[in-house]
Amino acid sequence: MAPKPKIRELLQESACSHNKSRSGACNAPKPGATTGGCAFEGAQITLFPFADAAHLVHGPITCLGASWETRLTGTSWPGRDLTQMGFTTGISTNDVVFGGEEKLRSAIDHIVHHYAPEAVFVYSTCVTAMIGDDIDSVCRKATEAHGLPVVPVHAPGFVGSKNLGSRLAGEAVLSQLIGTREPEKQTPFDINLIGEYNVTGDMWQYTPLLEELGIRLLSTLSGDGRVASIRTAHRARLNVLVCAKSLVSLPRQMQERYGIPFISVSFYGKRDTSASILAIAEALGDAELVQRARALIAREETLLEQKLEPYRKIFQGKKAVLNTGGNKSWSIASALQDLGLEVVATSVKKATEEDRYKARQYLGEQGVLMTEPGQEQARIIDQTGADLLLAGGRSLFTAIKKRIAFVDVNQEKKKSYGAYLGLLNLAEDLNNALHNPVFKNVARRAPWEK
Amino acid sequence: MGEVIRRIDKPLQVNPFRLSQPMGAALAFLGIDGCMPLMHGGMGCTSFTKVFLTRHFCEPIAIQTTAVTDVTAVLDGGDGSIVEAVKNITAKVTPSLIGLHSTGLTETKGDDLRGIASQIDYPMVYVHSPDYEGGLESGWGKTTCALIEQLVAPCQQGRRNKVVLLPHVSLTPIEVEKLKEFIAGFGFEVQALPDLSTSLDGHLGEKQSALSSGGITVEAIRELADAGLILSVGDSMRLSAEALLKKNATLCHRHFPHLQGLEATDQLAACLLEFSHRELPPAGVIRWRKRLQDTLLDCHFALGQTRVLLVGEPDFLSGAAQLLREAGSQIRLVLSSVDSPQLDRLTADTVLVGDLEEAEKRQQDFDLVVGNFHTEALARRFGKGLVLRGFPNWEVVGNQLRNDQLYEGGSAFLCEVANAAERSRHGH
Ligand code: SF4
Repeated sequence: MAPKPKIRELLQESACSHNKSRSGACNAPKPGATTGGCAFEGAQITLFPFADAAHLVHGPITCLGASWETRLTGTSWPGRDLTQMGFTTGISTNDVVFGGEEKLRSAIDHIVHHYAPEAVFVYSTCVTAMIGDDIDSVCRKATEAHGLPVVPVHAPGFVGSKNLGSRLAGEAVLSQLIGTREPEKQTPFDINLIGEYNVTGDMWQYTPLLEELGIRLLSTLSGDGRVASIRTAHRARLNVLVCAKSLVSLPRQMQERYGIPFISVSFYGKRDTSASILAIAEALGDAELVQRARALIAREETLLEQKLEPYRKIFQGKKAVLNTGGNKSWSIASALQDLGLEVVATSVKKATEEDRYKARQYLGEQGVLMTEPGQEQARIIDQTGADLLLAGGRSLFTAIKKRIAFVDVNQEKKKSYGAYLGLLNLAEDLNNALHNPVFKNVARRAPWEK
Repeated sequence: MGEVIRRIDKPLQVNPFRLSQPMGAALAFLGIDGCMPLMHGGMGCTSFTKVFLTRHFCEPIAIQTTAVTDVTAVLDGGDGSIVEAVKNITAKVTPSLIGLHSTGLTETKGDDLRGIASQIDYPMVYVHSPDYEGGLESGWGKTTCALIEQLVAPCQQGRRNKVVLLPHVSLTPIEVEKLKEFIAGFGFEVQALPDLSTSLDGHLGEKQSALSSGGITVEAIRELADAGLILSVGDSMRLSAEALLKKNATLCHRHFPHLQGLEATDQLAACLLEFSHRELPPAGVIRWRKRLQDTLLDCHFALGQTRVLLVGEPDFLSGAAQLLREAGSQIRLVLSSVDSPQLDRLTADTVLVGDLEEAEKRQQDFDLVVGNFHTEALARRFGKGLVLRGFPNWEVVGNQLRNDQLYEGGSAFLCEVANAAERSRHGH
């Protein structure tokens, strides 16, 4: 069994262009001024979509109690969908005093016995890391006893952010699963999708297109994923990293270890989707495949344009202000532009240099990159005459005061905005928001208000 | 009375619905005007809590974390990160109170909250709420207790017409408001502690606020002992009532395990008549009692043939079970998140402290589920009727508007359950 990953090393990730500006100190969260999830949450997000595996959280109820069944990560797994189930040792005072290893061992037995998963992921959390439970040893013995991978995931919340947790999860997969089984067959166009979690079925918007081109998904980490296939991931011809900087260390290490090249892509909006499909084809290095890809892109874009036609008129001349974080600050901007809206401002608060750069690329010189969106957005709406505010729930009242339409972009998504067809969903939602009189209605003054 | 199983011999929880003590503590602090709950632990606990409550209430949730890391967990006795957190919070906002509450991590370390709080020159209440024991109810109850012990000024006598209401955590904002109105209808001035009725409901216009808004003020908490009567609702609030009695020995105290159904509401009305020296309640109350009687009869046929599974926090379970029993429902199985004296009082075939795997095992015993969002998958899987109640309830809107208490809320609840039972019997 591999030793625990070296957290400091992961923090110094080299293949990460935004890393230069993020040296050690900023990685420590500031007490009293921190938002965002812990490393455990990041690990959970990264691995939970493996529907054939059970996910056992070794800790008190907090860690799992508030986090299971929170994300709609679609799966085509025909068995019982373990991504929508929660397993926790739910340790008690007694375990804190005497240690939780025995309980963990029996919990794994219970799961294997009752739910027959392909693998069990065991997540350590702050308390169980603090009391020093030897999870590695429990997992090693369980692996031997049950004859299936029981994988320890060392991402207790207090070691850092969600992003770090994702990396640690990637690390666990690399050291424990990848390369432990051979695929039944191989094709020259086998790829791994990394960092796509298939939330609301996002990946199903584009994987049929890849398949149509003859590109085969050998494995995914971990949207609609299977443990059985990630074990064969070392035989892929290409690693495709989807919108996930946090996982970049994994393909980099796979490149070193197995010589698999990797590319980063995004399937948000028309331009990015087309560029990504082409990039995958080109990276696989087959001239005919590239040609087929170009033809498919042309076909899909034409089809999309036809379907978008009725929306074009509605969105023409409409201006939007976007206030959200991370890669959404430019990826949603790009999608909005694809629909014909003008994005006059986007938020770059807490954005990495790379996100900032991309945001500038998409918005052009005229666009405003807001560093304090909470204070700036109202003024920018006035100055630009924006018609639409896309932001988190906290900004709703700004839209109401300004009497413009509002879309909550941070809400847990219910439908996919991914790839070509997702753009239609986005168009429909924006159209509905723009025509909804509710924002003006609720702004009515009560008869007794001056 | 059926069997009560307090402990299942099982090394894990499968599909758990128990929620954590720190979350209950945070929620109680949110019932105070201008408060900043400060969770002492890793940042993830706070983040999960914030997202969870935001989705449940559809309101912005003010909460901060001391963001303990693997490094500070070892080097710092808590003083460092707490002092730092208070400094960073007060640099941006001016809370009326900082509500310091611990988690499993910092309790394992053994941080001395009391010592640290006493060194900090800022209004602060601290509470020990490790998540490896108790649950949502106890976190809320302990925090209410701490607020009383640490803030309320002792006094020798009180005002006869002032009532202190101590509501348990499962009462929704509208339910607390309805209880306050009901009590006020008998001529009393009412203060609720905590008071979510004004803080986590109906807040258009204040969404930007970084602190809790609405709720009981810190000033009003200090003066709570200057009352005549304490009404505690739910067994998790008993300790709080006792803490308040210590502040003023002349206070009267009446405890209600719950306020659902005809009998419990009658008892509250009788109590309020006694203390207000009135002969009759307000006319509206009399009207609603008749409506509830009528509803009990209207629903008895559908409910009498319905076998129910109830899932949730003990104080909620005891009320819901009683109300449904009054109309003849067969309470086959009650699943409680934690142990409580309430469980012995429940009229049910089986009462069990456990997880949803237990419900799955016994799915042949019931036709309809009353429980939180996590029971939806269970109900769908086995084709059971479903009425959503409790934390969390993410996928439906209107959690704040649902009132199941007293004569009025009882009528609405019974109709909702009876309709759901009929619908599921006809296969919808
Ligand atoms: S910070 Fe630690 S205790 Fe809190 S949720 Fe994350 S892993 Fe669990």
